[in-house]
Amino acid sequence: MQISIKNLYKNYQLNGLEVPAIRGIDLTIKKGEFSAIAGPSGSGKTTLLNIIGGLDRPTAGEIRVGNDDLNKLNQKELSDLRLHRIGFIFQAYNLIPVLTALENVEYVLLLQGVLKEERTTRSTRILEEVGLGEYINRFPKELSGGQQQRVAVARAIVSEPEIILADEPTANLDQKTGALLLDLMHDLNHKKNITFLFSTHDQMVMEKARRLVYLTDGTSNSDTFRGHGHFKDNKIKKKSKKKSN
Amino acid sequence: MKFLLTISLRNLLRQKRRNIFLGSAMAFGVMILITANSFSHGVSDIMFNKLIVYMTGHVGITFNEGTGRRIPIFRDKERILKVIQNNIKKDEIADVDEAIGMFCRAIGNGKADNVVVVGIDMSKQVSEELEKEYMESFNVVEGSYDDLARDDIENPVLLSRQKAESLNVKRNDVIRIRFQNVYGQDMAARAVVVGLMANDNLFMQGVLFVELKNIKKMMGYRPQECGNIQIILKNPVRDAVKTADRLHEALNPGPAFIAGTVRGAAKAGVTILPFMADNDSKRIMRESFKLASGRLDDVLAKDGVMIGRRLAGLIGAYPGSKISISFKPRFADKDASFTCKVNGIFTGPPDEEEKLIYMHESLFYKYFYSNLPDIIKDKDKAYIPPDDSPFSKALGTEWVLLDRTATTDDATKKEAQIAKKKIKAMTMDVNTMYETASDVLKLEGVLNLVTLIAVLILFFIIVLGVINTLRMSIRERTREIGTIRAIGMQKRDVRSIFILETVSLTFFASICGVVLAFIVMELLSLIKFNVVDNPMGILLLNQRLHFLPTISGIIFNILFIILIAAATAYFPSRRAAAMSAADALRHYE
Repeated sequence: MQISIKNLYKNYQLNGLEVPAIRGIDLTIKKGEFSAIAGPSGSGKTTLLNIIGGLDRPTAGEIRVGNDDLNKLNQKELSDLRLHRIGFIFQAYNLIPVLTALENVEYVLLLQGVLKEERTTRSTRILEEVGLGEYINRFPKELSGGQQQRVAVARAIVSEPEIILADEPTANLDQKTGALLLDLMHDLNHKKNITFLFSTHDQMVMEKARRLVYLTDGTSNSDTFRGHGHFKDNKIKKKSKKKSN
Repeated sequence: MKFLLTISLRNLLRQKRRNIFLGSAMAFGVMILITANSFSHGVSDIMFNKLIVYMTGHVGITFNEGTGRRIPIFRDKERILKVIQNNIKKDEIADVDEAIGMFCRAIGNGKADNVVVVGIDMSKQVSEELEKEYMESFNVVEGSYDDLARDDIENPVLLSRQKAESLNVKRNDVIRIRFQNVYGQDMAARAVVVGLMANDNLFMQGVLFVELKNIKKMMGYRPQECGNIQIILKNPVRDAVKTADRLHEALNPGPAFIAGTVRGAAKAGVTILPFMADNDSKRIMRESFKLASGRLDDVLAKDGVMIGRRLAGLIGAYPGSKISISFKPRFADKDASFTCKVNGIFTGPPDEEEKLIYMHESLFYKYFYSNLPDIIKDKDKAYIPPDDSPFSKALGTEWVLLDRTATTDDATKKEAQIAKKKIKAMTMDVNTMYETASDVLKLEGVLNLVTLIAVLILFFIIVLGVINTLRMSIRERTREIGTIRAIGMQKRDVRSIFILETVSLTFFASICGVVLAFIVMELLSLIKFNVVDNPMGILLLNQRLHFLPTISGIIFNILFIILIAAATAYFPSRRAAAMSAADALRHYE
């Protein structure tokens, strides 16, 4: 599923003043890409991801996810789009604190109306895949930052969406854990052909992304393709098995 | 819906501390509400089923044969009982009692006091449950309630310990009582104390209870006569007014007449009719009467009668002559008779001239009530002028049925008007507890007000608690709302989750509140209050608070509280749902 953005603008109202967050971005993300949007704070990275995910509306411009023109979808249709086709990963994990790891992952399936038995099976399997098989009944506060973010990744992929939007997923993690998480996401990208789009100002993410779009003051400054083969897949697998943090 | 409920209940269970606080406040409120409601019901129960039952009944039929002094007597008990039987369904009626009470001067051992003597019908078969209730109400602590029915003791009497003290009597002592009987004669009687009551009901503390048949005998009632009637209904609030209305309609009186034989020089069959002495009736008589002999003023006097011209010729009567009238009474084998003076001779249609005697109502009712004439339906034996006769509106009826009234105020006004009219016939009034026991019912109103205040307090606890908790919750969970919106939850589902959480919490808190209320009521019922001489004693049952929770009341209360909680939760929940997901995700505590 391709994401295409044309001449996108987004302004915010701040104390009665109109503040531009995105100023005319054109961008196309193809299916299966593993791309990062980088830039300093306030450059419009999160705003762009929110607009792509239908959480926010653009002030002007066109945004299409697959065949859907997001400007033409109502709130209910946007919710359905997120529920079935887009997964989110947040900088602060955004797990629901009163739910266990398994329940957090199951939540999406619960909203999709999947039966309990299947919910549990699928969620457990995904948690095992991200290396958290032993922690499924733990509450978020009982997990480390890296583990929590892996739960968030599991929640994002459990419904097998076509796109995952990850807003600074490694910002709260140390270098090593961040790297492992990136390896995990790349692995998922590789195996399941899920489109990953990160927002980041983490150098490591920028280096590992196959495509890097650099934003400054709400406009695209550069758009670099790095091609395949940057990741050493075997190494990633070993590392992720060795350490689950 | 199921997944929303699952999510709501799970959230509720996981956010324990805050929910326990709010839930406890709600449970406390529900406990107050249920307890207050049950107390109010309990007091209503005491009033409707314990006090009013003994005081006035739920529906009453009262009689008054006296003009200056109240004489509560109806001369044909069977007739009134038949009317009751025919007009109240069996499943609506609990009991019918004769209510006979008399104000007396009681003289004990060196001390005297004013008392009310009230009759209890000991001959009646009552259910075990009712008997137990009687025993609880009378609470005889010395002697025995059953001794009231003993024939070997002269007028056995039961009285409260307070009254025994004021009369300086104890069990087996003799009390002399002075009173007036139904004929207005001063009488005295002896009564033997067979039991003392420890009673917290103020209305029972000044009363001397005797067997109904004994008080009737003392008061001069004959077996076929009865005092006022009290009707106890199974559902007084629902049925009292409509029952009274029905009885009122059925008790419409027929014409009053005495059919007998008149003797002068010869004898003849005759019907004696009363003409009323109020101004309207007198005017009718003056305008329509044609006198053959005598003066109308003499005719309208109380001391004589007016006979038809043909009848006068038949028996050889003339103004000033005396005639003797005899008739068959309803309840005696021997004919009753009286003599009266002829004041005038009237002319009119042949039948009326031959068969009628008109008598002033004062004179007529004296003879009529003291020996109720036999019921005669044969037109040959009793001649009643047709309804369109000019006099018919001036003629008296068997009794005067007073209009129905709804409140004590209306009833008081009605009594004052009746007193002014100086009605000579017996008056009959059909009333309900709303007229006769309104003061007691007012007390119930006050208690309902207290309950209402409890409800309002509860209302504020819930409204403030729910609003505050939801505001806090929504603030604390803003990012969670953003997250669940981001992963695809619909706006209305977010709103439903918050409402469902509140409703579920309210429901569980209500259940706890009900359990708590039952514990509190049980504990409060254990406390014994000693409230002798305190009017609030009437709110107690056997010196204890009386709570009467009802299933319908509890269900109503729970639904009411849930409704308030849901309505209160709606707006904050709507706000939470309307929040922009992107804004919610940006929110930091």
